[in-house]
Amino acid sequence: MSDNDFIWINAVTKDFGDVRAVDNVDMKIRRGEFFSLLGPSGCGKTTLLRILAGFEAPTIGEIIIDGQPMSAVPPHQRPVNMVFQNYAIFPHLDVRQNIGYGMRKSGLSKEEIHAKVDEMLEMIKLEGYGPRRSTELSGGERQRVALARALIKRPKVLLLDEPLGALDKKLREQMQLELRALQREVGITFVFVTHDQEEALTMSDRIAVMSKGEALQVEEPVELYETPNCRFVADFIGTMNFFEGTVTALGDGRAEVDAGPLGTVSAGSPPDHVTQGAGVMVAIRPEKLSITSERPDGQTNMVEGRIGPSAYLGDRSHFYIDLEGRSSPVAVASQNMERVSDRISGGSGQQVWLSWTEESVVLLPPE
Amino acid sequence: MNSVASLQAPRFGALGVYAVLYLAFIYIPVLFLPLFSFNDSIYIAFPLKGFTLQWYVNMANSDGLMTSVYNSLRVGAVVAVLATTLGTFAAKAVTRYKMPGRGPVITFIMLPLVIPGIIMGIALLIIANMTGLGLSLYTVGVGHLLVSTPFAMLIMVSRLEGFDKNLEEASQDLGESAWSTFWRVTFPLALPGIIASLLLSFTISFDEFILAFFLSGTNTTLPVYIWGQLRFPTKLPTVLALGTCILVISFFVVTFAEWFRRRGVSLKTSSGI
Repeated sequence: MSDNDFIWINAVTKDFGDVRAVDNVDMKIRRGEFFSLLGPSGCGKTTLLRILAGFEAPTIGEIIIDGQPMSAVPPHQRPVNMVFQNYAIFPHLDVRQNIGYGMRKSGLSKEEIHAKVDEMLEMIKLEGYGPRRSTELSGGERQRVALARALIKRPKVLLLDEPLGALDKKLREQMQLELRALQREVGITFVFVTHDQEEALTMSDRIAVMSKGEALQVEEPVELYETPNCRFVADFIGTMNFFEGTVTALGDGRAEVDAGPLGTVSAGSPPDHVTQGAGVMVAIRPEKLSITSERPDGQTNMVEGRIGPSAYLGDRSHFYIDLEGRSSPVAVASQNMERVSDRISGGSGQQVWLSWTEESVVLLPPE
Repeated sequence: MNSVASLQAPRFGALGVYAVLYLAFIYIPVLFLPLFSFNDSIYIAFPLKGFTLQWYVNMANSDGLMTSVYNSLRVGAVVAVLATTLGTFAAKAVTRYKMPGRGPVITFIMLPLVIPGIIMGIALLIIANMTGLGLSLYTVGVGHLLVSTPFAMLIMVSRLEGFDKNLEEASQDLGESAWSTFWRVTFPLALPGIIASLLLSFTISFDEFILAFFLSGTNTTLPVYIWGQLRFPTKLPTVLALGTCILVISFFVVTFAEWFRRRGVSLKTSSGI
């Protein structure tokens, strides 16, 4: 057992009747990591979290936390605590009793528990809120109380089920930063469930992208964004342009792909699944495409197109470029580092060139 | 304009007359009870003869009557506690666990509600005789338990469905076993329902007649005793005095139960932001 497999989700499958909620998920979560389970609703991320908490038993597989198999350990004896999506603050108890709820069997005296609750109240910046009822708290305050109630137990792992989903945008962004800072401060491993890709990218050390019960890719945010391993991940995180193609040449750490309307695309560091003559999905991020009115020099990858709809967003502009022989336009995001008017003046219908580097091309398995 | 005005202040029309008649029909007969219980005559008829507390004194001095009151209180109390306990656990099971046969189980528990009391009474009488148990307050209690448990369960189901099951999970997550979670979270949150259920089951048992009539031996409950007394006209005013007492007590008990139940509703919210 090392810190790299602090939590081992070992080939876990969970069926609810005929529905497979979690499908053979196998991943390891490191000690002290901020780990996110990211995916659309119904992808199995919450079920997986509930399996970690012990509220659901895996149909197949095993959860191992800090070297201990968990299958025989009921929820109340697991070294994990959970922050529920709706916070589940006990309505019949006040804030102090809520935070101290789990300390009954801690072996501490009443005074010690009181002091610990005070400590937590200070940590979540709710000093003086002790005697308040949960019905008197705002959404953000409830969230903090739920957090304190779990953290006072000093769990090995804190599970968070979309804890920011119910907050408004401004508060959510503030809580993202606070939560991240808090996680660094306490050093507890966080497993965080969210469907918000931006939130996951902002907060996580690593992210597991899930779809239909499967964990598609487990990576650091940068890797996930720059080198997604399948179309779902590429599409779910950020925006991506996809082109179907065929590999025409392979070797020397690069691949040439005939990508139809995009012409011949040269891609750097092709992944293992790419084979000569086989189909491949070419993916390029909107911001990796340069847009110029003149044919660019010294670029191997380029294509000519016509500007369709566009949007000026101040710091950047979004263009949709129509290519000959392609029905859906190509999305391009361009930073407005200089005055836009000089570069792209004609607006809709203007003839332009798109160019991109070999390294910005991602080759995905074909559909 | 007209429609707005009529929405704000409906005039006292046909519906108002209906409402008054309805209330009169329900309550005027009941009000004769206290009226004649203070009337200085053994005949329940107008004109009133004069004020007396004689019947209340007779009531207190009648051993048979007081014994049957005591029997009813005992049976009612035991039935209330047992029905509420059974109803609470049954409600917990059907609201919290995905168990096989949930639908049929609920139906079978609810069935005594729609079986006519006289049928139940005869059936239980046959059983009591067949098994040689004999008739006693115990058999009455069993009969009452059968009819009040569905009510207790209905009350508890609505109470338990009202609060978030994440609360129980949160408690377990924080280190409490299923049993201590029940006492620290489920019970306090369900308490208003439990009180309401206790009071309702007690009331059902206290004034139940048919089952008690079939299932009681020599020792009877109050309704059966009263029924027996109706054959003696001289005893009737005493029964009226007792009826008045029960009416007043019932009024306070039901008011209290309803107040408690409503107070509980405000405790319910857990997730609203």
